[in-house]
Amino acid sequence: MSDGMAHDQAREALEALALDALDASERDAVMAHVASCAICQAELAALENTASELAYAATPLPLPAAQRDRIRARLMARAAADHGSREPRAAATSLRVESGSAPARTDATPLRPYTPVRRRFGPAAWMAMAAGLVAILGVGAFLNASRERAALREALQAARAANGTQLAALDSLRSALATREGMIANLIGPQVAVMTLASTDPASPTGRMFWDQQRNAWTFVAHRVPMPKSGRTYQMWLVTPTAKISAGTFMPSPDGEVMMQATYALPKDSLAAVAVTDEPMGGSPQPTTAPMMVAAK
Amino acid sequence: MESEDEALVRRMAAGDDQALGVLYDRWQAVVHGVVSRMLRQPDDVEDVVEETFWQAWRQASRFDRTRGAVQTWLLTIARSRALDRVRALRRRREEPLEGDDGQVVAQQAAEGDPGQDAEASERRTIVVAALSGLPPEQREALELGYFGGLSQTEIAERTGQPLGTVKTRMRLALQKLRSQLQVLGSDAGEGGSG
Repeated sequence: MSDGMAHDQAREALEALALDALDASERDAVMAHVASCAICQAELAALENTASELAYAATPLPLPAAQRDRIRARLMARAAADHGSREPRAAATSLRVESGSAPARTDATPLRPYTPVRRRFGPAAWMAMAAGLVAILGVGAFLNASRERAALREALQAARAANGTQLAALDSLRSALATREGMIANLIGPQVAVMTLASTDPASPTGRMFWDQQRNAWTFVAHRVPMPKSGRTYQMWLVTPTAKISAGTFMPSPDGEVMMQATYALPKDSLAAVAVTDEPMGGSPQPTTAPMMVAAK
Repeated sequence: MESEDEALVRRMAAGDDQALGVLYDRWQAVVHGVVSRMLRQPDDVEDVVEETFWQAWRQASRFDRTRGAVQTWLLTIARSRALDRVRALRRRREEPLEGDDGQVVAQQAAEGDPGQDAEASERRTIVVAALSGLPPEQREALELGYFGGLSQTEIAERTGQPLGTVKTRMRLALQKLRSQLQVLGSDAGEGGSG
């Protein structure tokens, strides 16, 4: 019955074991005894049940709405990406912007090589874009993203093996993995349209909008986007023949990277263009400047 | 009979991510309450809340209804993940305890109950009542261990009490809590099952 520690001695430590309050060496000794003692196993199980009830003593605290929605969106994206194949989900009925830029990203965005196209647009550029740039997302981009996700998973496992001593790295990897998985979830659908946003700015920021038409998910990835002036922000617009719909505001990271996700149900045939404008902080009900990036469908 | 939460977990195990969303909507406030009690930094809290539900999603097929209610399973995950974070933070920064400073659990119950599941509310009422029946020093030992993530040695250092005293208090506290919960649970009838 005993395995290095007397039964009575182990029994007296079961409460602390159930609360996970033993020091490592004592915990190991008690657990070694418990492994070979049916009486202590049953007692420990009962004490663990009691200990678990303590969680109810904490007062419930609803998450702030923005935080609640942010976590939910990431969870749903991760769960969706966790499947090999998934059923289409119900169309979203409201716009939900997940984030502006993606801090702590180790972003070498796994998209196809892009050749920037400089164009100049007049004030009437909104609807004048005629050439459709829509394409079904290439297999190469998906494979690259999958490989990167696998690499992130491996790195995450390795960081966990370090037993908490590399918490900062773990957090960073987890954040990167969640971001990547959320992005992949919106990129791998069978009906993903890709729009390349050409720039009107000589600094040539480049961007692509991925529109998962089944999930109503919009993923915007851009590079070399200059920081807007103080008090200003960028705003994404979904342009239809009758309206310019805000898809939210975003700010680039210090190195000019942007990854923005939004959910918005839009009939497939109604999109005429997507565009980015420079707006006052907080965004505008309607665009107040000419687009600095635009793509037509 | 299968409860609503059990049905959600079963659907999660089958890969229904909408069920995860519903479970999250139902229990985010309760999970957040526990995690906030153990961690102070908003980023840590947000991360642990997310990881709690993510672990529930990944381990849904392992849920065993004969071992307890879904919310107890979920709160156990939450506490475990928060505890990992508390201890990792302490190792990394050697910071003081992230959890509460021996605040009285019974006082929190008076702060109001933002409309959660009736069974969980009943459970909370019972647990808080049981805790309030403990001597303050025993309750403190329980709370420092459970919410603070402190070992008995760390509690002894923190409170200035001999280690043997801390061990005795913790042992008596959990035993008393166990018997109190049994009594209160049976008084509450089926509401005390768990």
